[in-house]
Amino acid sequence: MSAHNRGTELDLSWISKIQVNQPAVLRRAEQIHARRTVKKEWQAAWLLKAVTFIDLTTLSGDDTSSNIQRLCYKAKYPIREDLLKALNMQDKGITTAAVCVYPARVCDAVKALKAAGCTIPVAAVATGFPAGQTHLKTRLEEIRLAVEDGAMEIDVVINRTLVLTGQWEVLYDEIRQFRKACGEAHLKTILATGELGSLTNVYKASMIAMMAGSDFIKTSTGKETVNATFPVAIVMLRAIRDFFWKTGNKVGFKPAGGIRSAKDSLAWLSLIKEELGDEWLKPELFRIGASALLSDIERQIYHHVTGRYAAYHDLPMS
Amino acid sequence: MATTRPESRVREIFSTMDYGPAPESHACALAWLDTQDRLLGHYVNGKWLKPKDRTSVPCQDPVTGENLASCLQAQAKDVAAAAEAARTALESWRALPGASRAQHLIRLAKMIQKHQRLLWTLESLVTGRAVREVRDRDVPLAQQLLQYHATQAYTQEEALSGWEPMGVIGLIVPPTFSLLEMMWRICPALAVGCTVVVLVPPASPAPLLLAQLAGELGRFPGILNVVSGPPSMGRVLASQPGVQKVAFCGDIQEGQALRWTLAGLGPELGLALGAESVMLLMEVADVDSAVEGVVDAAWSDRSPGGLRLLVQESVWDDTMRRLRARMGRLRVGRGLDGAVDMGTRGAAARDLAQHYVLKAQSQGAQVFQAGDVPSVSPFFPPTLVCDLPPASPCAQTEVPWPLVVASPFRTAKEALAMANGTPRGGSASVWSERLGQALELGHRLRMGTVWINAHGLRDPAVPTGGCKWSGSSWHGGLDGMYEYLQPSGTPARMPYFCENLNYDTFGLAVPSNVPAGPETGPSSAAPYGLFVGGRFQAPGTRSSRPIQDSHGNLHGYVAEGGAKDIRGAVEAAHQAAPGWVDQSPGARAALLWALAAALERRESALTSKLERHGVEFKAAKVEVELSMRRLRAWGSRAQAQGPCPQAAELRGPVLRLREPLGVLAIVCPDEWPLLAFVSLLAPALAYGNTVVLVPSGACPILALDVCQDMITLLPAGLVNVVTGDRDHLTRCLALHQDVQALWYFGSAQGSQFVERASTGNLKPVWVSRGCPRAWDQEAEGAGPDLELRAARTKALWLPMGD
Repeated sequence: MSAHNRGTELDLSWISKIQVNQPAVLRRAEQIHARRTVKKEWQAAWLLKAVTFIDLTTLSGDDTSSNIQRLCYKAKYPIREDLLKALNMQDKGITTAAVCVYPARVCDAVKALKAAGCTIPVAAVATGFPAGQTHLKTRLEEIRLAVEDGAMEIDVVINRTLVLTGQWEVLYDEIRQFRKACGEAHLKTILATGELGSLTNVYKASMIAMMAGSDFIKTSTGKETVNATFPVAIVMLRAIRDFFWKTGNKVGFKPAGGIRSAKDSLAWLSLIKEELGDEWLKPELFRIGASALLSDIERQIYHHVTGRYAAYHDLPMS
Repeated sequence: MATTRPESRVREIFSTMDYGPAPESHACALAWLDTQDRLLGHYVNGKWLKPKDRTSVPCQDPVTGENLASCLQAQAKDVAAAAEAARTALESWRALPGASRAQHLIRLAKMIQKHQRLLWTLESLVTGRAVREVRDRDVPLAQQLLQYHATQAYTQEEALSGWEPMGVIGLIVPPTFSLLEMMWRICPALAVGCTVVVLVPPASPAPLLLAQLAGELGRFPGILNVVSGPPSMGRVLASQPGVQKVAFCGDIQEGQALRWTLAGLGPELGLALGAESVMLLMEVADVDSAVEGVVDAAWSDRSPGGLRLLVQESVWDDTMRRLRARMGRLRVGRGLDGAVDMGTRGAAARDLAQHYVLKAQSQGAQVFQAGDVPSVSPFFPPTLVCDLPPASPCAQTEVPWPLVVASPFRTAKEALAMANGTPRGGSASVWSERLGQALELGHRLRMGTVWINAHGLRDPAVPTGGCKWSGSSWHGGLDGMYEYLQPSGTPARMPYFCENLNYDTFGLAVPSNVPAGPETGPSSAAPYGLFVGGRFQAPGTRSSRPIQDSHGNLHGYVAEGGAKDIRGAVEAAHQAAPGWVDQSPGARAALLWALAAALERRESALTSKLERHGVEFKAAKVEVELSMRRLRAWGSRAQAQGPCPQAAELRGPVLRLREPLGVLAIVCPDEWPLLAFVSLLAPALAYGNTVVLVPSGACPILALDVCQDMITLLPAGLVNVVTGDRDHLTRCLALHQDVQALWYFGSAQGSQFVERASTGNLKPVWVSRGCPRAWDQEAEGAGPDLELRAARTKALWLPMGD
């Protein structure tokens, strides 16, 4: 993974003048699907690329070491090897970008990945995921414990209360402390955009999170009613670009929640390409938080290679 | 089971992450052309018309240059056949109940739905426009247009009683405009009961396909006829018997040429010209979204023209940086590719753009071009032109596709002056997050359409039009329907063309006047002078013309006005305009009512003066009374707001504003010296215009009498009355570039002159063509067509959301 975003001093003038026009952003969002399309070999290559962006996720109450192990194995072998061979891609080391679990399952995941002999990082959600409504002290402790267990990336949720009441300084300080608690681990800040009230707040929260040193900003926990949507993504990507133009620091972006089809993932890739450029099309700067997406991509690859639609049992489960 | 394909390029693409070709198959378009043996004729009366011995033009793929088909060029005979078919079909079509016409339109919408792939691939293949735009916007909108106008036809008897269809409509569509522009005009025409002949440029198969689809519905084959031919056929089409209106959309120069050639030919001319758009970007805008607005406006194959971008100086650098970054990601390529933003418009459009760029550079402008553009012709990259000196010739001309010409401004007031300071008045968008500012700008822009924080939205229910050179015809909404309607009982328009009318000398000389004998009869006591700027002034010529009564005796002298007096009157009217526009309709009504009361006080004097001019006592009394009623009626009517359109695709309202035309010149008829004067003046004032008026030539004294009351009642300059030689004054008004509209009631020759002279600033003109009008009848003296002509519509789009 790339170097950390060191962040900057809090500068509220960066967010005070911002204007986001929601209907105009919606119109832009509607065009993403229509303006770009990739076909045939381009589609196959783009889909394989999408696989390498996936944070393969399981965040359920009934997670145990056995399904974590299965997930980790799927992360290592996301696409059936004969399909990769057919595309002459078997030696490209295609794996998902990370495995994302609850803090208590980090040990299981680290162990399973070690057994599989790979270096895929384990990401842990933390800080009172998904609501963030616990004391700061316990939230910080949660990060430290997850890092101790071997998590290389920490997906923290912000305190929405601070955004809705406009306490930007406090929000900045909290994320600063998250950053410190992470140590060498990467900090991915979940904005829970479905609960921020307006696109203007989304922009402001994005900017604060980046100033405070987040390596990634992430749309949602996957547990809110509204998850990763294009309008929200457009606003966050514009914030990332503005932050890059101001500081020279590249911050990553992670949409999560509701991205299930291969077609959707292609639209997300072209959105990144259009708004930020090819430099952002790498796992260090772009992730997709998903669980069901991978199997749909595998089905599409299967179809591309064989010309047939796969049966359910043709592809290994995760 | 899966075998390795060594030729696979997946590896390479995986590392570059480039876009690849995403061609949309156009096999069905070629298959359709094959059904015509690759030879397209005209579609007339439900049948293909492929006459022998006609020259043909190749229809080419604009990218590859491949010959797709040959298209026959129409001759006068073919146009006549199409007009004949439309005339025949008109009888049964206009007689149908609206509900049946609605049904037919719905069937056509379904037909388009069934063959939409053919329609969009053919249109994209031939025009070179991005297929995404045709497929996702044009074709659905074409269906919505049919749907909307079908519902309007359904309620026509009820909602549009008092109106009847005009008759056969000639529509002239130039090559740069799409199939959709044709749909915008044929839908309302067909809905209200007109039939249509469309003249399309050679090598445009999509309109022919549409006509075929309509023809294959079986019934009413002659309602839509399409002939393809050179522009010279436009005059032939306009001269066909039965053609009541010619609608033209396209280039400004071509529109002017058409206005010139069609003067006196009979059909009314509806012009919708130019394609340039304007964008105002204020410092409190969402700049990133505004940049997307620029992409929509200029680099998306949506608009046929370029964009004039005005940016507040405080956000200029930021805007330019974002704009350039965005431009770098645009993709240009074959229209049928599913992953391009912009296609091509062929070599002519490219040369025009290239010519403008070179000229701008030579005048000191900076030109920035970017985007992923194939190096082969005929593509042209998205282009941004900055630092063009405002006084350079380039800055005055229309910005062509796909250029954006950006200039900075300091204040909102300056932005308005710059945006309004062009002879074009089509569409504009305002980008500002301050509601008050956005609405103020939206109101003050002299444009047909203003979008707030959006650009290029269209909807069948919203009228689209323009002012100044952009023409004064409308499409969409109710205004679009009125274009093809006339008040019931209007006589058919006949040609009144006068071969020997000399445009150079018409009304040029003022006859010299000499004393005309003793004044007899009761003292006229008419005020002497021209009523200009709120007071009576001596005419520039310092001479007078005698006015005789019905017995041939001298009634009195009126001032002989001339060119300088007209100039002064127009200036005075312009000075009065801002104050009058800002008055509420209620305040205007109050003044009209006060004027009516003044007329009442003068009743006996006015009656006796009318009697002296040969009007019987009873009739004279009626004329004065009716005049009072007109003033009061128009005062009240102007307060009623028209219906607000509801756009289907928009969250938020669209305001349909009725705005004054500006300085309106009126040449009153000779007959009804008081009533016609008041009937024309009242609606003009009620809708906020300021007026320069030439009263009845035979009896101008009554109008001058009324002016005496205006001195105290009305703001100075609101109404200016100039007496004198009517032909001469008409000439001065018609040729005045700063008169925004002209109503002429007089001779056929004068009408023809007015029509032709209006070519200069394309002011909307309304001429009587030498036909008298029954001013005492409600339908003609105070009809709804006066209301339509006294104001212009502006659509103000207000998207909402947070």
